[in-house]
Amino acid sequence: MKTFALVVLSLLVAPLVWAQAPHNAATPAEQKISWAEAAIKAHPDHSQPYNDLAVACVQRVRETADPGYYVQAEGALQKSLQITPANLEGEKARLMILLGRGEYAQALGLAKALNKKTPDDVLLYGFIADAAMALGEYGEAEEAAQWMLDLRPGNVPGLLRGAALRRLYGDARGASEFLSQAYQQMAPTQTEELAWTLTEMADLQFSIGDIDGAEKLLHSALQQFPRYYAVLEDLARVQTAREHYSEAVELLRQRNQKSPTAASRYALAQALERAGQATEASTAYTDFLAKARPLINSKDTANEELISYYLGRGHDPAEALRIAQLEIAKRHDVNVLDAYAWALCGNGRYQEAQKQIAMALAVGVREAKMFYHAGVIDAQMHDDASAARYLKQSVELNPWSENAAAAREVLGKLVPASAASHDAK
Amino acid sequence: MIRKILSLLFLIGFLSGAVPLRAQQSATDDLIKRLQARVKRNPEDHTGFAELGAAYLQKGRETADAADYELAKGALEKSLDLLSNDPAAAFAMTQMAVVCMVEHRFDDALTWAQKALALGSGDPSPWAIAGDALADMGDYKSAADAYSRLQSPFGSEDEKLAYLYQQNSRMSFLRFVAGDTQGAIQLTRSAVRTAIETHMPAENIAWSQYQLGEELFLAGEIDAARKAYVDSLEEYPNYYRALAGLAKVRASQGRYGDAVRLYKEAIAKVPYPEYAAALGDIYRKLGQLDEAKKQYELVEFIGYLSQINQQIHNRDLALFYADHSLKLHESLALAQKELEVRRDIYTWDVLAWSLFKSDKVQEAAEAISHALEQGTKDPQLFFHAGMIYQKAGDSAKAKSYLQSALALNPQFHLFYADLARATLQGLSRGSLAAASQRTTDARP
Repeated sequence: MKTFALVVLSLLVAPLVWAQAPHNAATPAEQKISWAEAAIKAHPDHSQPYNDLAVACVQRVRETADPGYYVQAEGALQKSLQITPANLEGEKARLMILLGRGEYAQALGLAKALNKKTPDDVLLYGFIADAAMALGEYGEAEEAAQWMLDLRPGNVPGLLRGAALRRLYGDARGASEFLSQAYQQMAPTQTEELAWTLTEMADLQFSIGDIDGAEKLLHSALQQFPRYYAVLEDLARVQTAREHYSEAVELLRQRNQKSPTAASRYALAQALERAGQATEASTAYTDFLAKARPLINSKDTANEELISYYLGRGHDPAEALRIAQLEIAKRHDVNVLDAYAWALCGNGRYQEAQKQIAMALAVGVREAKMFYHAGVIDAQMHDDASAARYLKQSVELNPWSENAAAAREVLGKLVPASAASHDAK
Repeated sequence: MIRKILSLLFLIGFLSGAVPLRAQQSATDDLIKRLQARVKRNPEDHTGFAELGAAYLQKGRETADAADYELAKGALEKSLDLLSNDPAAAFAMTQMAVVCMVEHRFDDALTWAQKALALGSGDPSPWAIAGDALADMGDYKSAADAYSRLQSPFGSEDEKLAYLYQQNSRMSFLRFVAGDTQGAIQLTRSAVRTAIETHMPAENIAWSQYQLGEELFLAGEIDAARKAYVDSLEEYPNYYRALAGLAKVRASQGRYGDAVRLYKEAIAKVPYPEYAAALGDIYRKLGQLDEAKKQYELVEFIGYLSQINQQIHNRDLALFYADHSLKLHESLALAQKELEVRRDIYTWDVLAWSLFKSDKVQEAAEAISHALEQGTKDPQLFFHAGMIYQKAGDSAKAKSYLQSALALNPQFHLFYADLARATLQGLSRGSLAAASQRTTDARP
């Protein structure tokens, strides 16, 4: 299972730099913004340059985590649609904005409507896949991703969606293969996309317990795109897994210097707590709540973090469940199903919890956290054999996960009980 | 100089079947007409405009008419104005990269290739143009990396073979630059086999056979070079590159009448300055100075004919002027201008030769060292190096390079092969005289 890591790690070559005449310090998205602005200046009455600008701004959000660029994107999109109403490229830019802002149901409706008119547009299938995956409609997502790869074999957007789906279905090797194929096609100048793909690979490696491999990939990603917030967040997870809590704090402080999200604030608060910096942790949790709570009913939330907080340090399982119910009403992807199951468990509603976690695991997903949750829920339901199985799976899959210690503890309590029950028979 | 515009090889499969030159040109004209009608019917058809741009590019490749490249650009710009943020736009962007290569705007070509790659279409073709641009800019390592990506695990067997063909054609040039001429020849032979097996358009097969001929000529395998050019002409009758290649062989064999006829045929098809210069040299060799003068005037005329010609023939003109000790100031200016955009070994070589002819020996020596640093085994490079070092007073280096030039191909140039021999003799006499003087001086 872990041997495919060697294939992934063989990709870790020194980043290539193509010797073009002027050294370009701009990021790929900044470069695209600059090109689009030049094209707008040359052709202010053409809609496509405005579309290019909108798309570049959305890409800049991914580079920086700064949602302010969505405003710029919307401005450009408006101009485009004024010049050429309902132009397809403009509508696709709109879709990118909707997806970026978490408006999945609206995005899915629009993508499907556009796809009906233009069934050979590969990217529209990609947007359908993105929205469907976020909503938990995996069958629809798979169909759309398959169309992408059938229409244009080996296209990078299709491979990346395929990788995400393969991971959801529990096929880590297959996901890794697609990520590698996508990576191989990227030019050295696509530094952010290269870094993002490496981060995805690292996340995959981490999920199967290969923290050394994950760390190497993350450092490679940082070489591609220095100070990339996504890499800093994941490196902090690696350091946490190694119990290097102070290093994790440092990484997250660095990450939060620019455009911190509610989720990254929560991560810092947890890291501070683990590092024994109680006062700072308390302040950080307060800061997180101040940012996350106003977003509860919006589209782009930190509700999974809030649920985790209220089930843990927040000591308010009822609030956790309330927020989880808000989420499950909107979407039923595996993460929300898992969060809902855990919130139900936290409120003593074990049978319902068991049903929800079963739905999540039925997709095929293999995540240590979910196996741990399933194990605890089954233990509460006195199904010790199943509980033991899930807890063992959790620990074996990723001995370094944040739940590993807890999983071992619960498993330790179960085993004698399981053995006693077996002897009695 | 064996490297021509490889990037246009990208346009494989665009025309069908192996047809004679005139028939292929008619097929291109027909295709252009059909596509013009298509985009007229639907002005929002981005694919139609992209394919029209590619067809104009193919036309330009067949005729070397700059107007076709302008038409190509217009069609491609229209396509990208309709669609530019979708994998489907990668084709138009790659074609734009090809246009830039034709115009010797290598940095722009690389940028367009990168834009095409950034769309992630799954088509590795932009790596070919990226590699070509990098090679022309002198970054051979990055070019090799780009070419190594010219493959795909997807698609049909024929498509995979097509990428292999593109890869081998290009890697052969890099092998040659790195001094592995035999390795280069092997790769080109492989490319020719692939082109034939996969029934590529006749012009593509003929191009590969012509490239093989160029490599064999530089390696001194004259008869094998002749065969390759003949094969090229059989594949694609009246192919101007093969005509010129065969003319070069005939000239090296002393068959000047044949050489004249062949160069004239090549020039009638596509008037490249280097063909006119070579023909002029043959006339000079034959003592027909008026005819030689006409051809030399034609060289300049072509070089300055149009804006695009003024861009793409700088190096050819610089070399022509330096070779014939004409307008040396202009030769140097053209070579220096070329070096701003193109830092490959042949531009360094032409700069070195222009500097040498302008009596700037130290600078010439520095420039030629850049030209030689990859280890390329090219008689022209060695000859230039030999003459530069001779003037710089480094007899040992001068002898070594001149001997190497003649060892590779004893008839590498109509005039310079003899000059190399004469210079070597002079160097040897000079050595003997110096040795004799040292012996005399040493006597008590």
